[in-house]
Amino acid sequence: MTHSTTQARITRIERMSRRTRRIVAVATLLGLPAMFAWSTFWLGTTVPNLVWGPVSFVLIGMTIVGSFVLYRYVRDRADMPGRRLDERERALRDRAWILSYQVLSAVVVAGVVITGIVVFVMGRPVTLDATLVNALVLCVGVLLPTLPAAALAWIEPDAVEEA
Amino acid sequence: MARPAERVEPVLHNRLAVLRAERGLSRQELADALGVNYQTIGYLERGEYNPSLDLALRAAEHFGLPVEAVFSRRPFAPMSALLYPVTSRREEGRG
Repeated sequence: MTHSTTQARITRIERMSRRTRRIVAVATLLGLPAMFAWSTFWLGTTVPNLVWGPVSFVLIGMTIVGSFVLYRYVRDRADMPGRRLDERERALRDRAWILSYQVLSAVVVAGVVITGIVVFVMGRPVTLDATLVNALVLCVGVLLPTLPAAALAWIEPDAVEEA
Repeated sequence: MARPAERVEPVLHNRLAVLRAERGLSRQELADALGVNYQTIGYLERGEYNPSLDLALRAAEHFGLPVEAVFSRRPFAPMSALLYPVTSRREEGRG
């Protein structure tokens, strides 16, 4: 069981502070839903594409670039079963998966509660049209696999500089 | 109001950094010998990770010392105080 000395050469992404990683994780997870929310907000208005386009591009870019950075930082340390990890890395990966589950549960419960309030309290119908389904499928498809990597980047302490 | 500490488990003190320096080992060399990532050695030295019993025993075995000489529930006294107890005590009294 040996770990290659190449691991000693840590890249700039791997050296990111926990604070930076947390910002990247939040930006990644919120970018795509924010883009859909932004598009819905402008739906039916006469806003020129010059305003709508760049903001949408930035929001979706946050998720795309953020995902790349997170995957590059975590590599395959958040995968199950993943490559050979030592005991600390395994414990960290397990904590990341627990955190992912908690976040996902909170989002699902919040979604159900909000839908319930809209339908039963405010008395407004919720239509599951193609736009909403597309948004949900894209958000789930892109963000769900990213969640463990984001959670790992969120909880891992700052790296040790020198090998 | 002070922020609550993130870690709840008790801190396990260790002499890994001193022993590693004594033997002229890099973190990577010690990590390779123990079969862990060098970052794990760094976190152990910083007190940010408590090793399993297996890893603690392997580390002690690697240094040829009893496990209680490498890991302890209480902070270790400085090496100088252990090597020169009389001088250290006299200096403490003066200070």
